[in-house]
Amino acid sequence: MIKPPPGSRGEVGLFVTCLVDLMRPSIAFAALKLIEAAGYTPVVPDTQTCCGQPGHNAGDARSARALAQKLIAEFERFPCIVAPSGSCAGMIRAHYPHLFDDDEGWRARAEALAAKTFELTQFLADVAGVTEVPGDFVGAVTYHDSCAGLRELGVKRQPRALLDRMPGVEQRPLNECEECCGFGGLFSVKYPDISGAIAQRKCDNIRASGAGTVALGDLGCMMNIEGRLRRNGDEGTQVIHIAELLAGRLDPD
Amino acid sequence: MHFVSRVRQRLDDTELQRNLQRTRGRNAAARLASLASLDDFDAVRERATEIRASVLRDLDVWLERFEAEATRRGATVLWARDGDEACRLVIDIARRHDVKTVVKAKSMVSEEAGLNAALEAAGIRPVETDLGEYILQINDNEPPSHIIMPVIHKSKEQVSELFARVHGTAAKTDIVELTREAREKLRPEFLGAEMGISGGNFLIAETGSVAIVTNEGNGRMCTTMPRVHVALTGIEKVIPTLDDLATLLRILPRSATGQAISNYVSLLTGPKHEGDADGPEHMYFVLVDGGRADLIGGDFEPMLRCIRCGACMNHCPVYQTIGGHSYGWVYPGPMGSVLTPLYQGLEKAKDLPQAATLCNQCGVVCPVSIPLPDLMRKLREKQVDAGLRPWSERLSMRLWAWVAQRPKLYARGVRFAVRYLRWLADGRDRIQAMGVAPGWTAERDFPAPAAQSFRDQYAARQRRAGR
Amino acid sequence: MSSARDDILGRLRQRIGREPAGAPAAHARVEQVIAASQAGPRPSYDGDLAARFIERAKALISTVDECAAPADVPARCAHWLIGQGLGRQVVVSPALAGLDWATSGLDVRIGAAGGDDPVGVTGCFRAIAETGTLMLCSGAQSPAVNSLLPQTHIAVVPREHIVADMEAAFAVARDAFERWPRALNFVSGPSRTADIEQTIVLGAHGPYRVHLLIVG
Ligand code: SF4
Repeated sequence: MIKPPPGSRGEVGLFVTCLVDLMRPSIAFAALKLIEAAGYTPVVPDTQTCCGQPGHNAGDARSARALAQKLIAEFERFPCIVAPSGSCAGMIRAHYPHLFDDDEGWRARAEALAAKTFELTQFLADVAGVTEVPGDFVGAVTYHDSCAGLRELGVKRQPRALLDRMPGVEQRPLNECEECCGFGGLFSVKYPDISGAIAQRKCDNIRASGAGTVALGDLGCMMNIEGRLRRNGDEGTQVIHIAELLAGRLDPD
Repeated sequence: MHFVSRVRQRLDDTELQRNLQRTRGRNAAARLASLASLDDFDAVRERATEIRASVLRDLDVWLERFEAEATRRGATVLWARDGDEACRLVIDIARRHDVKTVVKAKSMVSEEAGLNAALEAAGIRPVETDLGEYILQINDNEPPSHIIMPVIHKSKEQVSELFARVHGTAAKTDIVELTREAREKLRPEFLGAEMGISGGNFLIAETGSVAIVTNEGNGRMCTTMPRVHVALTGIEKVIPTLDDLATLLRILPRSATGQAISNYVSLLTGPKHEGDADGPEHMYFVLVDGGRADLIGGDFEPMLRCIRCGACMNHCPVYQTIGGHSYGWVYPGPMGSVLTPLYQGLEKAKDLPQAATLCNQCGVVCPVSIPLPDLMRKLREKQVDAGLRPWSERLSMRLWAWVAQRPKLYARGVRFAVRYLRWLADGRDRIQAMGVAPGWTAERDFPAPAAQSFRDQYAARQRRAGR
Repeated sequence: MSSARDDILGRLRQRIGREPAGAPAAHARVEQVIAASQAGPRPSYDGDLAARFIERAKALISTVDECAAPADVPARCAHWLIGQGLGRQVVVSPALAGLDWATSGLDVRIGAAGGDDPVGVTGCFRAIAETGTLMLCSGAQSPAVNSLLPQTHIAVVPREHIVADMEAAFAVARDAFERWPRALNFVSGPSRTADIEQTIVLGAHGPYRVHLLIVG
């Protein structure tokens, strides 16, 4: 194992997630910046792909197990694993161990990994204990609690506490902030009518909050909410990942 | 009708949507407020979960204990393998006691069994007495849309119109007056019926009793006034002791309606005693299996802990959007999405386990900690194993996993996907129609990805930094 | 053909993996659980149980009155009924027949209520402070109908019968009854429904009013 540089608080394995890799790399760069700013050394294993959640939720347990084994092998050497997504971190923490209910060896490895895996804001607030964040956003922000982060990991206070550290941010309450946005992975594609109607309620609540910006911790929900707002002709409301908001401007490099 | 078309109809039904939105969130808020009066909700929930789980581990023996105790105290305990058998037993009892009219308190098991239709076919008149169930019965036997608020899908105007039409009275829109009208219609039925049928919230092994929880008092009426009382319940309803009943009663009404206690809890043990001023002369239990025994010892055993509180549907974004009738059988919401395929057959409810966002609001509020989303995932697995999912979906999952296990190939795939999506976006920041996922773009835009994936940008950055 | 009972129990045993030889042990375990039954986690109250009971009962829309001694009950009932304009006709449970109803000015019948009785008066086996709930036992002396059929139910609650919670009430009942009553009814305020538009309406099928007279 490569030793972290002197002065570093330790290595952190960053699981970028497949969706961020493909759709919105800036979220991963923001996460890198925040982890570094917190005094840690982020490491990005370049063989990483997907955590296996799509298969897990589609009833394809075999695929889910295969990808879980791959991820465990890639990340178990780190003292700490971070993902800028409540749903992927939740997959690892809450679901990986049960994938191996009948395989003691893998179950133990899955449990060990689960115990040191964190959603980004959870890591920053609870593990790193950061009191300063680099972001310099100015304006009113409301926060949507994505389901897996909230209910599988208990992410609730952390993003809000971190936003509190940004003097320019005025936090506005979001009615029904703990309600699902209607994304649900493939659900959104399989049952568009239902998904769209649920997303509509979320968008109505966001607009009613009066904040021009909604922050959240999961790209899937972001794409759902932003896509619905835009489809309705709302070009103004900004939908931003909490990592991007906290990190502020990213180096052009 | 197919699930998707049922849903479309419900989404287009503006009256239904208005009715759903009216109550949405209210039950959740009431529940939350009522939990404050328990010093330690989590401890009560944990205990309630353990009570229910421990019974299921020895269900055979608990049932025998219950049966022995109930019998010793003068009740007759009968068993039914399925709904049809339950109906036959109830009709036999009715015939034996020369019953013409039956008053019914709400019983979900009787809905499972289709008891009303069976009674009618046997020339026995069933009268539903829960206000909501009564409204449904006089509306041509409409099915309930919620397990504890059966007419949550109706407005007072709809009830008013129905009463005026069926009762031949002047239309009223005042809810108090409507309630009174039903009271007056039903009072003579309670006094005249020869038999009362109730469900049972719990069967208590310690005393051989059934506990019935209601607010209206119709449960008391049905089990006090007629000569014969039949309690129709599922075999999973046993709990060990009265202390356990006290624990469960702390959590059932709170989870259901946000009440610290329901207005009436009746603990009924055997028929009337000699000298008693009132009560039925005969008391029967009909214990129905109906698919329950097959769940014991398997992945779905936790579902049998269910105490039918309705909290899962009150907190379900899907239920709140499509209403209970979309689910197609007796049980709606998350618990229905698990129970219906298990009791009716996987192939009869292919959509239900899929039509869920797995947001886990249900699992979090369930007073007996049933991991409903996990059970839906398990059902999805069973669907895949049984070949009930489209081959294209199964193939794409396999293919995805196969590629995702090969990082170099995967990286090439990502590069291709970026190019493809950006080609679709055609220079704009979004895609409005996408052939590979038409469901997505039917309801919302899809963003154009960044010009390069993270892995490629990051690799370039590392190279520049000479790492 | 095997009976439904044998069939269901047989399948349960099979799924549970119960060997015939294992059954006696399971039965013993079940008896042991019942014998060792204990209260679960429950809220605790500081202070006066009666005060808590009254406060909770009022929250359930019961009305509450107090009097010093059993002898005062008939007059207090009459006073309240007349004050409310609810008439003088009452049916009183036999358990309360010993009180001096004759001088109360009420038109009293001792016995079980019928469909037309406007007011039923009952005693109460125990009252539960946690929720403001009455615990009524059916029996020759205490007809269940008296708290069910009339539009108004008056319950006489001896102060010393107020206990903390349902567990405490069950503990008393286990000792008190040689034969368990047919019906133990827990009554928490007037009958109500919220079936139409989730709007609460009192007096669905049972009483419109529940009036509690605390004695002692
Ligand atoms: S599954 Fe849980 S929340 Fe849903 S009705 Fe049953 S007990 Fe209540």
